[in-house]
Amino acid sequence: MIPAKFDYVRPSTLDEAVSALAGGGEDAKVIAGGQSLLPLLRLRLAYPDLLVDVGGIAELRGVSDQGDSLRIGARSTHYDIIGDPLVAAHCGLLAEAAGTVADPAVRHRGTLGGSLAHGDPAGDLPAVILALDATLTARGPGGEREISAADFFVDYLTTALQPGEILTAITIPKLGDGWGYRYEKFHRTAQSWATVGVAALARRSNGTVAEARIGLTNMGSVPVRAAAAESAAAGAPASRDALRSAAAHADDGTEPPGDLHGAPDYRRHLARVLTGRALAAAAGV
Amino acid sequence: MYNGIYKMDAYSFRCTGIFTTKMPTDAYRGAGRPEATFAIERIVDELAAELGIEPLELRARNWIKHEEFPYTSICGLTYDSGNYEAATAKAKELFGYDELRAEQQRRRDSGDPVQLGIGISTFTEMCGLAPSRVLGSLAYGAGGWEQASIRMLPTGKVEVVTGSSAHGQGHETAWSQIVADQLGVPFEDIRVLHGDTQISPKGMDTYGSRSLAVGGMALVSACDKVIALAKVIASGMLEAPPEEVEFAAGVFSARNSSGASKTIQEIALAAFAAHDLPDGVEPTIDADATYDPDNFSFPHGTHLCATEIDTETGFVKIRSYVAVDDIGKVVNPMIVDGQVHGGIAQGIAQALYEEAVYDDAGNLLTTTLADYLVPSAADLPSYVTSRTESPAANRLGVKGVGEAGTIASTPAVVNSIVDALRPMGIRDITMPCTPERVWRAIQTARGGQQASAAEQHEARQSDRTQGNSPQGVAAEGDDAPQTGGAA
Repeated sequence: MIPAKFDYVRPSTLDEAVSALAGGGEDAKVIAGGQSLLPLLRLRLAYPDLLVDVGGIAELRGVSDQGDSLRIGARSTHYDIIGDPLVAAHCGLLAEAAGTVADPAVRHRGTLGGSLAHGDPAGDLPAVILALDATLTARGPGGEREISAADFFVDYLTTALQPGEILTAITIPKLGDGWGYRYEKFHRTAQSWATVGVAALARRSNGTVAEARIGLTNMGSVPVRAAAAESAAAGAPASRDALRSAAAHADDGTEPPGDLHGAPDYRRHLARVLTGRALAAAAGV
Repeated sequence: MYNGIYKMDAYSFRCTGIFTTKMPTDAYRGAGRPEATFAIERIVDELAAELGIEPLELRARNWIKHEEFPYTSICGLTYDSGNYEAATAKAKELFGYDELRAEQQRRRDSGDPVQLGIGISTFTEMCGLAPSRVLGSLAYGAGGWEQASIRMLPTGKVEVVTGSSAHGQGHETAWSQIVADQLGVPFEDIRVLHGDTQISPKGMDTYGSRSLAVGGMALVSACDKVIALAKVIASGMLEAPPEEVEFAAGVFSARNSSGASKTIQEIALAAFAAHDLPDGVEPTIDADATYDPDNFSFPHGTHLCATEIDTETGFVKIRSYVAVDDIGKVVNPMIVDGQVHGGIAQGIAQALYEEAVYDDAGNLLTTTLADYLVPSAADLPSYVTSRTESPAANRLGVKGVGEAGTIASTPAVVNSIVDALRPMGIRDITMPCTPERVWRAIQTARGGQQASAAEQHEARQSDRTQGNSPQGVAAEGDDAPQTGGAA
């Protein structure tokens, strides 16, 4: 289908983009790679009056070292992230998960910020930045503010971003020594969404898992942390059996959806199995 | 076709047609043979399990031996040619059948969470539709002949008009090869025309893997007529009686001592100029032919599929796939491989992915390609393809290959999955064998806390209609479509 008529601007600075968005009111939308928004437009599930294309704003792209953290421009593409040496050195989980997003064409066009701002719990990267304890920076007419990943995802396709705000950067604390990671994605075909995905981080110390962080993809209306499994894994021996036992709590408190690719009980089961595998891989066992 | 490649002393067949209000469907690649082959090849595997006989051994004991062709089956069809022994032996070798069976046993013995399955499909099919008398007896509205025209242009070029219209399967190439062989003209001088009734007013089209076996044979008949017409003109030009004129590799030559010769392209120019033709000879060597086959042709093959089943998640990964097809003489190996590859992918898709799902109110739920899954190259193995050759009864020796892969592969995949899980007591899994279905079959077989598959299915339907799903319920209008990744 052809999208409904809309106006289109492509500012070259962030300030221009913020004022263009403010001028568009509630019916203005930001577009980056367009991998989620364009299909919505074509199906006329979204019909904004104005699209503000942030694709020409250089300051929104790239990764910089901030000392204890990395700052990743929201417009950085999945492909940028997959090949970035700073990401590889300090938060490789993000690169690993970005490598599983859709297909090569999408990975070259789609952006980290777009994926997060879209707020789809079936998207891979929301659960990943949740597990990485990231902070998101938004710029609006009132200036800049920071939102923790834990507060960012509000509901299905709904984030804490206000109308008029643009997601500008994602700040990720560097993982120190001893951390390992794994993104376990279960999907029926290579280009399908995750039926369930598990983003796991584990810090090993003296033969045990000292600390674990687990984000779950597509296990509810928003990406969630598997808090009970994280607690159970903390202090557990770094062994497959122990981590599998911890993973038995991975679905505690979740409300997974049921659809053609999996009923809720199947998703719960997958979350437990995949969490066990992801933790074992993250812990290097 | 329900008896497949097997000899049977008696045969009983009942077919129940069910009218539903679901989406009507039309002929699918293989039209009828995939269904028949799925049934027979699945049943033979179950029979082998019940009798405790190795499934390939059971097949070999019951299939038609190569020396028994042509063979009239219990259903009354006469299979033209075949060699099931040769195709199966080749497939086993390429597959590493014995090694994979050994690995399967090791995985079973060690309780590996990833189990290995080996699926067999020793299929045959009928193609080359069709003898018009047979179609008449089945109350078809038309015959099963095919039309070809050959126009010998004065420039030496050859225009070939076929009624068997191609839609991408390479007739332009294969038809040019056939005409080049028959008339002895260069391949690049031939132009194949089709696809528009203004160009090609007569024809039955391409379906039922008939184009080569019927349309290709129409070309041969038309070429025969061209050669016969050209021979009369050549006889005059060579000053030798027609019976003294030989045609080989595009050249007419007099058998007498003159050693004179003319190419068929020179004859075409002479016919066009018509300055010096023998008395009473029409100034053309163009010809039309309509070919009606005497019988169907019966390709066959042995397809072997190895799957790895993750018993913890139900995910099925195809590890290797070997297809040895016998389609008679091959005109163009690359085109044949392309047909086989595409056909296998399509049959695998039926076995593992494609399904039209409806809710309890009859609404189609699989309305987008995010919900109705089709595999891409990333989901499929590299196929090993090979061939044996049992020429068909027609002059080209050709059968058909357009549907073979689709017909053969679906039972090979499902047999493989059931083979992997049989020690658990699993005897069948409904297609498509989705991870969830495989997992539920395992849960049920293990007698865990899981409810029966039927109850689970009801639970799923109920979940869907609650509209709480982020995926797959676009029919309800208020959910986002699944679009392939992030922004």
